[in-house]
This record gives sequence, structure tokens and C-alpha cells, in this order.
Amino acid sequence: MRRKTWRRQLLTLPPTGYLLLFFAVPSIIMLFASFRYAGEYGGLAPWYYYEAGEFSLDLTLENWQRLFESEIYLLLFLKSIGYALLTSLLCILLGYPLALMIARRPKRQRDLLLLLVILPFWSNFLVRIYAWMIIFSPAGALTQMVNGLLGLFGLGPVTLMYSTTAVIVTLVYVHLPFMVLPLYANLEKQSPALLDAAQDLGANSWRRFWHVTWPLSLPGIYAGSILVFIPVLGMFAIPDLLGGTDSIMIANVIKQQFVESRDWPFGSVLSMVMTVAAVLVVLLGARLARQGVARG
Amino acid sequence: MKKLLASLVLMGTTQLAAAQGTSLYLFNWNDYIAEEAVAAFEQSCHCQLVQDYYSSTEEMMAKLQAGASGYDVVVPSQNAVQALVKQGALAPLDKGALPNLKNIDPAFLDRGYDPGNGYSVPYAFTTTLIGYNESELGKLGIDAADWSVIFDPMVLEKIKGKVTVMDDAQELFGAALKYLGYSVNDHDEKHLREAQQVIRTAKPYWAAFNSSSYIKELTVGNIWVAHGYSSDMVQAQADAAAAGRHFTINFALPRQGAVLALDNLVIPKSAKNKALAHQFLNFMMDGKHAAGVTNEVGAGNPNAAATAFISEEIKAQTAIFPDPATLALLEPLEESSPKVRRLLNKLWTEIKIR
Repeated sequence: MRRKTWRRQLLTLPPTGYLLLFFAVPSIIMLFASFRYAGEYGGLAPWYYYEAGEFSLDLTLENWQRLFESEIYLLLFLKSIGYALLTSLLCILLGYPLALMIARRPKRQRDLLLLLVILPFWSNFLVRIYAWMIIFSPAGALTQMVNGLLGLFGLGPVTLMYSTTAVIVTLVYVHLPFMVLPLYANLEKQSPALLDAAQDLGANSWRRFWHVTWPLSLPGIYAGSILVFIPVLGMFAIPDLLGGTDSIMIANVIKQQFVESRDWPFGSVLSMVMTVAAVLVVLLGARLARQGVARG
Repeated sequence: MKKLLASLVLMGTTQLAAAQGTSLYLFNWNDYIAEEAVAAFEQSCHCQLVQDYYSSTEEMMAKLQAGASGYDVVVPSQNAVQALVKQGALAPLDKGALPNLKNIDPAFLDRGYDPGNGYSVPYAFTTTLIGYNESELGKLGIDAADWSVIFDPMVLEKIKGKVTVMDDAQELFGAALKYLGYSVNDHDEKHLREAQQVIRTAKPYWAAFNSSSYIKELTVGNIWVAHGYSSDMVQAQADAAAAGRHFTINFALPRQGAVLALDNLVIPKSAKNKALAHQFLNFMMDGKHAAGVTNEVGAGNPNAAATAFISEEIKAQTAIFPDPATLALLEPLEESSPKVRRLLNKLWTEIKIR
């Protein structure tokens, strides 16, 4: 018995080591950087001085104070969380029917349909964003169609490119497969016998869905939401390329600190806050998923 | 972003060339050297010129800061030269190996960023100006040679949603400071806040902050006014003409003055082949070869000997080839202190959040 646990622990050593090396260590370095001064040309200033035999630390709380000095950073976090929530919600609305439809198909068709969901990943992320720039441009097909429809109701033409709408649509597009795949994995596992039993007991199709399929699929929804929420929270390329004059997210400001402002310590502060926010979301998601499993 | 792909491809070529004998490694702005000059240099030195590219000063600085070595020549703008010299990242130039230095217009030598040109020689310059759709603005009777075209609500009212400005705090604040009659290097907090107010007032009329695709947007006709680099506007003008558009693109230097970016050739301390690097610098200061960057790319030229080789058509354009009176209105951006950078970033974030 004892030997068995020992062996099991040995097996978890590589993943644990990996997480320590690539998550814990960088996070600690970043936390430390958030208390240091910025170097004049980027990078960091020395964190200690050794002068005339005397050793002195050169650390500061100033970077963290700046976070609370003005409400803009807090507002930006809230705004980014809002974008990420909206994207997750839209992905659930679009992804759930799709995953359910695929899961209920015969086996052969399922594989083909899944392949189609994954297909966009075969082209580069930036290429897909540039494709959306063409679609959203005033002469693009989507804009023409939307304005044609609006014109029927006597409404003025709208601009889609460079807007928050464009940012959200593209965020949903890019992250939809991350919602569909875990949902599909969950829905596909559900035994059809459960639905048959419910039908035998006189449940109509809506009740069968709401009382059987939906509660059982909650862990899939939480897993998908985490997979969508976290990368969206850290997204900067999409607001940069498709956003209007007010569509920036927190990651754009973090990028600015490391590149344009050459202010690594403040960039570290903002990154730390974002990491903590992401970890909290994962914990919440995992907790909800466990409850879902326990209930199911 | 596109440059990322380009540099990946280049990493491939770099290794290839290394296998074929002597090579000179040039870290350059994208599209910032004449093909002709490259070919001529390769022939004269019996070596390969291997280029790697960047699209912003920050990108180049970040890469060098992160320890990128192996580049023999880099092409930083004046403020980056100043920073690189202070960091001790550059090798002092051996003037004896650079007889063609005499060709450079003295107005561009011995400037504050590198007194005595101990580390850098001027290569080319661009200005940040206004590129515009000549046909559309002509119909509206709008004067593009004035910063009011991107800042004054009275003017912007007529072109709402058809304007982009650079997604670059220093450049945009520089333009707003010029509009207010201050220097682009004015770091007084009160003046910076005034500039922020100017930007905030104008922002609702702009389509986007855009430093990456305004050439395309102008050429396609989606955007009528773009704040950007002169060499890019030359490109947009040529592209629109080549595509046979029913409108024409032009560019104008605002009369209040603008930001000038003077790009220089420097040799990093870590360069492997300093002798060949000096040979390249001297070669590029030869009038005939120096003219290429103006004729092909549309950049301004600090080389007096190049004038004879520059096409008359380009010489007539003051935005590329400024006369002394215009040149006096152009200001290079200076390196700013960490405190100023922080303030600027805060003002910038306040502008962009809503």
C-alpha cells in the first residue's frame, strides 16, 4: 500500500515540477519585480546597493500605490471582466446548441463535424483577425448586408470596423471552439438511456432537456467558460487591430508598460492583479463544476 | 505583427547565408533600404547583406535589451541613439574609415543626441504628417496642411469617422503640443494636460488609433485623413495610383510644424564584423547609394551629395524634401525621463479607456 502511494507521487512529479517551473517561479519573479524601481531604459533597477561596506535595499510600494491612485485601472479591470463575461455568455449561447447537435449525430458524422469546429485553428490567429478586418470594412459583405437590412427600416448606415461590436464579435469567433469542445465531450458521455427513462416517465422534450441534459452538462459549461474567460481577459491583439477609440482592455495597458513606457514594475503590478483574478475565476469554476458533479 | 512572420522567415535566411561566407547583419526598419543599394553593396564587398526588421523603436530596443546580439549595423532614430549610447551598447566609430562622412549635410551632424557623431551617422529621415484623400477633402474644402484637420471639432464635424491617428502616445501628444504652439518635447505637466484635453475633445470624431494599417485604409478609401509617417504616405499615394482608384491620395506637412525622426546607422558593441560594418556605413554615405532610400522608399535624405541623384519629382515635394524654412519647424523627439514616461502613459490610458 505504502509503495503504491509512493509510486503515484512519483508520477505526479513531472507535472508538479512543470507548474512550479513555469507558473510559480515566474509569478514570484513578477511579484518581486512589482516592488522594484524601473530601470532607465527598460528592465529593472538594482534592488540593493552595497556602498562603503553598507548593504541597503532599494524596494518600494510606490507601484502598488499607483494602482489605487486613480480609478482608471480598476475601471479597466471591470471593463475587461465585462468583455470576458459577455464573450463567455455568447459562446455558451452559440456553442451549446452546436455541441448538442454534434453529440446527437451518428458516430461517423460526429467526427467530421468536430473536425469542422477545429478547422479554423489550422490558419494563423492573426490571419483570421485580418480576415475579419476585411469582413467589417465599409465595403465588406457583412457591413453591406447589415446596412442593406437597416436601410429597409429607414435606418442610417452603421460602421462596424473599429468598434466594440467588432471586438466582441471577433472575440466570440476566436474562442467559440474552446466552448464547443468541452461541452461536446460532456454531452457525448451522457447516456441516452437516461433520456429514454425520462420519456418513459412521461417527460416531454423540454423537461427532458431542462431536468436531465442541462444539469448534467453544467461541468462542461464551467470548463468551457474558464477556457474562454481567461484568454479573453488577457487579449490585446483583437482590441488593438479591430477596436475603436475606446475599446482597449487591461492587457493593452500591460503591454504598454513593458514596451512603450518601459515600466516593468507597474506592468508587473497589473499582471499580478490579472493573474490573481484569473486564479479566482478558475477556483470558482472548479468549485461550481464539483458541485454540479456531486448533484448529478 | 506582420513583421513577426517576416522575422521568422528571415531567421531561416540568416542561417542559410551564414553558411555561405562573409555576411553583414543589418537590423533595419521594414522597407527602409533601396534594393539597388543592397545589390551594389553585396557586389562590392563580395558578401551577403542579411536583414532583420522591426516596426517600432520600442520593438528594436526591447530586442537589443533582451540580449539580441550578432547585428553588425542597426538603424535607430535619434532618441534611441541617445539611449543606446548611454547604455554603452554602441561601438565608437572610426572616422578614418568613413571618408564619405563629408557628404552629410552639416545641419544633420553634431546634434544633441550624439555630439560630434562619435557613434552614429545620419541615414534618412521621416516626418509625422497628414496623409489625406485629396478628392474627398477637396470637395469639402478642408485644408490638410494644418493640425486642425485632426484636432478641431469644427473641421472634424465634416469628416467624422473618416480619421485615424497614430496609436503612439509620443507622436500624438507631439502633434497636439504643436497644435497648441508648444514644442514636441515640452514635458511640462500643465501643457501635457492641455494636449490631453485637445485629444479628448477630438477623439469622438476619430475612427481609431491606428499605426499599423492606415496605408491600406487610405488606399482603399475607408479613411480620408490619417496621421502617420511620411514614407508610408508616399507608399499609400503610389498604391492608390497603381490600383487605379477614382480618387488621389496626397500628404501635407502641417504649418505648425511636426515631429521629425532622424534615423542613423550605428554599430553595436556586440557586432562581429566591425570592419565590414564601417565599410557599409561609408558605402551608404556615397551620394549615389544614399539617394536610393529617397527615390525608392520616399524617405528624406540628410546626404548633400545625394541631391544630384534624387528625382526632380521628389525634390519638388517639401514634405519629403523640406526647404530650410520648413526644416526649422521640424523637431526630433527627445528621450524622456521615466517620470515623464509614466505621466504620459497615465494620460494616454485615461484617453483610451472611454
